[in-house]
Amino acid sequence: MDNSICQAYEEIQSLEEEIKILTEKYDDNQQESTFFSDKEILMSIKSFQREFQGESKGHESPSDLKAQLESLEREISFLMKFTGIQFTSHSKKTVEKTRNKTVQKHRVSGNCHSLSFQLEFQLLEVQNKENVSAVITDLSIIMESGEHSVMSKFVSSTEERGNLLTFFRSLSSYAEWYEHRRCTFLHFK
Amino acid sequence: GVLAHLEMLEARAHEAAVKQEETEQQEEKLARLRARVQELRRRRDELRAKVDLQEKGQPGKEGVGSDPAQPSARAVVEWKIKSVKAMLQIFYLTGISGKLTKQGVCFCISTAYEGTYLDSYYLDLLIQPEVRIHRHSVPVFIPLEQIAKKYLQTDIRRFLSVLSDHLNAYAGRRYQADQLQERFSDQIEGTLQRNSLCNLLVFNYDVSSTSKSFPFSARLLYGDLCCSLPTEVVVSCARDAPASLAETAAAHSDLFRRTALHKAFGS
Repeated sequence: MDNSICQAYEEIQSLEEEIKILTEKYDDNQQESTFFSDKEILMSIKSFQREFQGESKGHESPSDLKAQLESLEREISFLMKFTGIQFTSHSKKTVEKTRNKTVQKHRVSGNCHSLSFQLEFQLLEVQNKENVSAVITDLSIIMESGEHSVMSKFVSSTEERGNLLTFFRSLSSYAEWYEHRRCTFLHFK
Repeated sequence: GVLAHLEMLEARAHEAAVKQEETEQQEEKLARLRARVQELRRRRDELRAKVDLQEKGQPGKEGVGSDPAQPSARAVVEWKIKSVKAMLQIFYLTGISGKLTKQGVCFCISTAYEGTYLDSYYLDLLIQPEVRIHRHSVPVFIPLEQIAKKYLQTDIRRFLSVLSDHLNAYAGRRYQADQLQERFSDQIEGTLQRNSLCNLLVFNYDVSSTSKSFPFSARLLYGDLCCSLPTEVVVSCARDAPASLAETAAAHSDLFRRTALHKAFGS
């Protein structure tokens, strides 16, 4: 009798874990395969507030969600303005997800001042005891070098080493320097 | 006689009754658990089917919310929130990210060695009446005050950039030393000696992992705090060592100056 009860508990635990992983996978797939334009989002916010005046329990109220979105957008807007790095699009696809490990493929495009870039990389995140470790692999960088030939050599070496952080730091410095130079030249014209 | 016998029968009957009750309770419990298992199996199978449909590229059949063809307004807003959060995560990967606070900004400087992200450091800045550092998690051996004095008031971006260079170089040096200790510990005598800034490393080593002696003695000095390659390398061996060993030492000296330490050992 005890044995059967033990087995039942074990199966319950394993099923609950499976359900959790499947739910996350379903949510990830939903998130990653949809896209809504800014217009659709604005319309949704308006209709959302109209429809649900007395929201059901267990859900955040429309005003809470709206406030949350606005706060996040302020954060992104500040960062883009401050760093000069503007992301124009970002998509990701969860390739693998287990209890401790997540592997995602990311595609990002944007520009830093007048220099535009397109990136693709794989991000591996592992949950260990104290924190989450992140590793970038398969980094691919596309930049229109044109007059910025000094960038193309740099780009291939950072690509080889998966040096995403160095890429952004250097891009930022170079773009700012270039912008400063351009403004100075214009000033003297 | 009879009374004692009766008492014994009564006791036995009581025991049997208690046991009977226990067994019934166990059976009830098992039945409940089995019902739950059935329920969970059903939910799991349902989810599996939904995920399979998704992966075959037939969205809309499972539906988001009550209307399968059209996602609810709430779902759209929630989608956008997740989307913006994901983009903020990308900012973390660029090395400088942050959040506006009531009195200023809290910046986060992330560090990485090639593709591996390492520790991140926080700087809580106040902007009134002038820009100053309220709190931070920068280690004490990084010349934060010096850098702040030079750039904080005039060019915050430059301040963060220079600080990021220092922190990334430190993180890179520490990473190399850690990797060397972890992956090549059998080629190194004892533990690698280093200072907290990880810009001075001293260790004895051998090229083979099985020998018991460590004929080479290395001292690496990283004079440029914004660099993760050493500026000065001295590799020596015993004075009475054969000439070939001395040649190897010289070659290593050159190698360590050009290549990351853990990679040099891996080659």
